[in-house]
Amino acid sequence: MTEIPAELIPKIPILVLTMILILLSAAFARRFGLGRDISLAGTRALIQILILASVILLLFEMSIYWSVLMLLAMTAIAGHTTYARSGKLEKGLPMSIISILLASVLLLTPFFLLNIFPLEARYLIPTGSIFIGNAMNISSLAIDRYKGEIKNKRNEIEAYLALGASPKIATAACLTQGINSALIPSIDNMKNLGLVWIPGVMTGLLLGGADPLEAASIQIALFTSIMAAGMLASSLLLHFSTESFFTGAWQLRDDLE
Amino acid sequence: MTHLELKDVSKAVWRNVNGTKIRSQIISNIDLVVQRGDLVTIMGPSGSGKTTFLRLINRLSETDSGDILLNNRNIKDYPPVELRRKVGMVFQVPVVFRGSVRDNLGFGMKLWGEDIDLNVLARDADIPESLLDAGAEQLSVGEKQRVCIARALANRPEILLLDEPTSSLDMESARIIEELLLGLCEEKDLTIFWVTHEMEQAKRIVGRRFVLNKGRLEEEHD
Repeated sequence: MTEIPAELIPKIPILVLTMILILLSAAFARRFGLGRDISLAGTRALIQILILASVILLLFEMSIYWSVLMLLAMTAIAGHTTYARSGKLEKGLPMSIISILLASVLLLTPFFLLNIFPLEARYLIPTGSIFIGNAMNISSLAIDRYKGEIKNKRNEIEAYLALGASPKIATAACLTQGINSALIPSIDNMKNLGLVWIPGVMTGLLLGGADPLEAASIQIALFTSIMAAGMLASSLLLHFSTESFFTGAWQLRDDLE
Repeated sequence: MTHLELKDVSKAVWRNVNGTKIRSQIISNIDLVVQRGDLVTIMGPSGSGKTTFLRLINRLSETDSGDILLNNRNIKDYPPVELRRKVGMVFQVPVVFRGSVRDNLGFGMKLWGEDIDLNVLARDADIPESLLDAGAEQLSVGEKQRVCIARALANRPEILLLDEPTSSLDMESARIIEELLLGLCEEKDLTIFWVTHEMEQAKRIVGRRFVLNKGRLEEEHD
């Protein structure tokens, strides 16, 4: 029988604990109709992170071109996740990808232009993934809420349309609500930054020997940029997706899921 | 002079029956010619397609086949913004927008960049001047319906579609709104489609009376 290498032994209980937690969470979430979602997402996350762990050091050695390509691939996956959350809206996939890409590039660039981080794969990939991941989360929340608002406020929207208002005017309040709701977790996190939780980048920088004030400055700059990227991505997505809920004759579609 | 003409218009909708979607033909090959200034009452049981019939005229819903002509021009050839300005609609359940009564009445003005005397508009719809700056969402259902009527009239429509405008109101408010609308019909040069399921109300409305039954529109004669 093959023996388990000694360096893997402490990691086994962690992985077992993770699997147990995924199973328990999925079992608990069944009552909310989320059992399948949680078990699938948990299993995917576990496999993906294990694969990442085995290649991450190689990724950090990649050239800058390859790391940009890698970030583009991440954006495509993030865009697909948001697109699925939108109920697969017409033109939703390109709109999701472009919104997340534009917002992330715009808010990430200053960190490298100002030399806060050196333009190397080991910095570009992790920070880029934070921006893309957060923009995806906020966009998914925003589009889900926007779609719900449009469905629930059909009477109000049709009252606007009947007066000659365009779909953009008719859905303006729903759009605001969608973005507001999506930003609640980020705003709450920002309010409690350093009080309820100590953010990861700052912790990493401190453990790496950085000056606490410098680490804090980078953390707050990253934090606000991430929120701004999320807000921008979700605004773009909701703005461009409005037409997908309507026909060319400004009729609210009947087939909204 | 022909104002609105329906030529062989049909429409089916999908209905959810016990979790199964069933296609139901609610408007079948309807032909109708309406002259400018006509007051047309449409009756029919619940679910007979009265609301859908009205929604086809301002294109909130699309016909499956047939043509609707407004001033001898197919409504599909009008930009939606122009069609809906010409064809106003008052819904069964009044929906007011966030803001004051004045904001609601001035909505069209803002949209079209025109100047309308809101005080005159409010007076026409029997809205007291003291209510103009009140929050529209705080009003009673009857008051909200008056705001919706005034808001539709602010667009100066040629045709007004009334989808059971009194059915969600108590008897007293319903009577006031009905009198208001009948007064406006006489006063303004409007072609009106008035959907109702109340036989008594239909009798009080002087004009052409139709019954929508099994997708067909049948004119009633006294």
